[in-house]
Amino acid sequence: MKARDIIKYELGPGINLHVIPDTKFKTVFISYCFHRDLNDDYSYNALLPAVLKRGCEGFENIRKIETHLEQQYGAILSVGVQKKGESQILRFSMDLVNEAYLSENGILAQAFYFMNRIITKPLIENSLFKQEYVEQEAKNLKNRIASLINDKMSYSLERCIQEMCKDEKYSRYVYGSIEDLEELDAGRLFKVYEDTIKNSPLDIFATGDVDPEKIYMLVSNSLDIERNHIKAIPETVIKKVGIEEKEIIEEMDVAQAKLNMGFRTNTHFTEREYYPLLVYSSILGGGPHSKLFINVREKASLAYYAFSRLDKHKGLMIIGSGIEREKYNLAKDIILQQLADMRKGNISKEELIASKKSIITSLRGAKDQQSQLVDYYLSNVVGNSNVTLDELIDEVDKVTIDQVIDISERIKLDTVYLLSPRKGGGSYGKAN
Amino acid sequence: MEKLIKNPVLKESIIYKKMDNGLDVYIMPRPGYQKQFAIYATRYGSNDSSFIPPGKKDPIVVPDGIAHFLEHKLFEEESGNVFESYSKLGAHPNAFTSFKTTAYHFTSTDNFYECLDILIGFVGRPYFTDENVEKEKGIIAQEIKMYEDNPHWRVFFNLLGGLYHQHPVKKDIAGTVESIYQIQKEDLYLCYETFYHPTNMVLFVAGEVEPDKIFKHINEHIKKQKADRRKQEEIKRIYPEEPSSIAKKVVKQKLHVSRPLFALGFKDIDVGYKGERLLDKTIMNEILLDLLVGPSSEVYNLLYEEGLIDDAFGAQFTGEEDYGFAIFSGESPEPEKVADILLEEIEKRKKSPWEEEHFLRIKRKNMGQFIRGFNYLESTGVKFVSMIFKDIHLFDYLERIEKIRYEDILKQLDTMYSSERSCLSLILPQ
Repeated sequence: MKARDIIKYELGPGINLHVIPDTKFKTVFISYCFHRDLNDDYSYNALLPAVLKRGCEGFENIRKIETHLEQQYGAILSVGVQKKGESQILRFSMDLVNEAYLSENGILAQAFYFMNRIITKPLIENSLFKQEYVEQEAKNLKNRIASLINDKMSYSLERCIQEMCKDEKYSRYVYGSIEDLEELDAGRLFKVYEDTIKNSPLDIFATGDVDPEKIYMLVSNSLDIERNHIKAIPETVIKKVGIEEKEIIEEMDVAQAKLNMGFRTNTHFTEREYYPLLVYSSILGGGPHSKLFINVREKASLAYYAFSRLDKHKGLMIIGSGIEREKYNLAKDIILQQLADMRKGNISKEELIASKKSIITSLRGAKDQQSQLVDYYLSNVVGNSNVTLDELIDEVDKVTIDQVIDISERIKLDTVYLLSPRKGGGSYGKAN
Repeated sequence: MEKLIKNPVLKESIIYKKMDNGLDVYIMPRPGYQKQFAIYATRYGSNDSSFIPPGKKDPIVVPDGIAHFLEHKLFEEESGNVFESYSKLGAHPNAFTSFKTTAYHFTSTDNFYECLDILIGFVGRPYFTDENVEKEKGIIAQEIKMYEDNPHWRVFFNLLGGLYHQHPVKKDIAGTVESIYQIQKEDLYLCYETFYHPTNMVLFVAGEVEPDKIFKHINEHIKKQKADRRKQEEIKRIYPEEPSSIAKKVVKQKLHVSRPLFALGFKDIDVGYKGERLLDKTIMNEILLDLLVGPSSEVYNLLYEEGLIDDAFGAQFTGEEDYGFAIFSGESPEPEKVADILLEEIEKRKKSPWEEEHFLRIKRKNMGQFIRGFNYLESTGVKFVSMIFKDIHLFDYLERIEKIRYEDILKQLDTMYSSERSCLSLILPQ
């Protein structure tokens, strides 16, 4: 896809529409994305989409909404919240089968009017959201936050980031905090809603086999939104000086230890140094070609998985691996040895090529998936970047070994986090 | 023999060819896609741990988890590791083992035909040594432990342990740490020789590709094959006699979780067939589950509003030739209460079913979902292969769903969903 293949329209104050036409897709994917600061309102931001999804004028409950969606050949309405750097994106998305495959018209047009209702015509009681919905969704959200523990891989990753960014707003969990939700203030929730609708930047994406002009007409005709003063979202702080390495060990009744290591890359994805950083992370732990896979898994047989991944908005690099507790020090040493090797310039031409090609395969592949396409261009809006997927592919292709070695100097270990089985085995149980 | 199978609704087609060595090849051209996806699969999974190899008389029992172990080990070659060869080309290879299938696949955006050569090459070239078999045990042990800590995985397998007395589907796909440590290279070769024969395998490709060029590349490989790999007698798989009753009514396990997870399962005893009939049964159950507990159903809304379930709740049906089950699963503060309400709802619906309009709506929903699935090359490939192993052609789905009648669905409700053949699996907080 060339740069011109994403078509941008300005729809109103702080409202932009991005259309990515592509004939190969069987569905049309639409996503309304409101940008919010990851500030003290973060639990309220996280709750908002869930409350709105419960009902609106004309579709007052889940049953009515879902009945409507089923009738539209199983259109999918999904809402949620995403953390991109130190901002929260409130998303309202719909995925519908393209009319070209159905003996029916009007599905696409209806979708935009339906989305508008969900976002702008909530059920109101006494100038607040319907109380029952707020209470139920606050409870669901609390359960969701608590259930992070059920997935030990995600839990340990999140805990590593929380410890690492303790004094930064980035440590806030995307779904909010249980404490905030315990003391939920319904008035504040409604204010957050009004602020979102009136003042938050809004980006709307549509991708599929569509005519951009038609999408523009449909969005502008359907969107019934009053805009006020658009608030800019503060930029994510990515550099941190005076880092002291820390080690956190937490014990739990688990079978496998999870090792996570958090690093500061001191690099934002709009900097040119991001390109070699991408390659660096891929050489280190970006797949079966990587140093971590080869040395931690294949050579030492210590783990089934060992990876490194970048958080491009916050400039972090996180390594994760599942190991035996007794092998903790050994695994950590092997991992750190890989980073030291890279700093010393121990990177082969084969590693460089394999990593670049692997990244390029993923980037090209993103064009085959609507959600990934939207995610990429949404990230660009958040980070204020204009680099298209094709331009990024070209830049990655140009990276040299020297540039990768140079970037390794920027990467600093911050936090080592180990989720460990209890010493002496503990009470890990079997089914009965 | 080459055959073109068209689907006018999807506006897609598949080219089928049986190669000289007996391998079935299916190609789905998808112009405009950046990716190419190839999946090479064998009818062999974790359920096949007892069998009579072709030409032999006596049944053999191999350690549990061997199909999965073999999947790991095929990536090893005398000249090095397969990952390395793919890495040079920038492709992303992977593999999986399920109850009935082992599959090797890759996604590429360049060098497709070279990647295809690697795929067909390494799957056809086992290289097991005492040393490389031993080395893998530590890795797989960690994979098993990872799943031991996964409550969603545990609640599922504990349920199967409750539904089945004997059938191997109750066993973990990867085996146990104990069972995999028994595996020797001889066992791997025996399983390989038995199950990795072209006549027992399928290759599926999707993407912007040239079918003739694919056939040419495959033929090059066939030419290099030993003559004795061209034909194979029947493999006799031995599955123990499975009673129609369930093994346990309730299965509980404690894990470090925030609140209870549950899976309520129903054992299907109307088994023993494949093809169209199995497809129809699967479609009927999918529609039925949506009618019963889909998000537009009465009971879903009741449970949701009472705080007994959240949007992680769902139901699904699995239908294979020799077994089948339906599962309702989610998280709940009171899982027993949810199970009671679901069982009550099933009985209620047997007496007073839904409006037919609801049925027609769910049909539309399922048709839409089916069409949506073709956006994704990888999941299309995985689905295609698992269905073809049941003698079902993926493209037949739309035609069959049109033909399903409401009466058939209600009959299915009566026969399949009986509380006598249900089991509740619970993962409870410590």
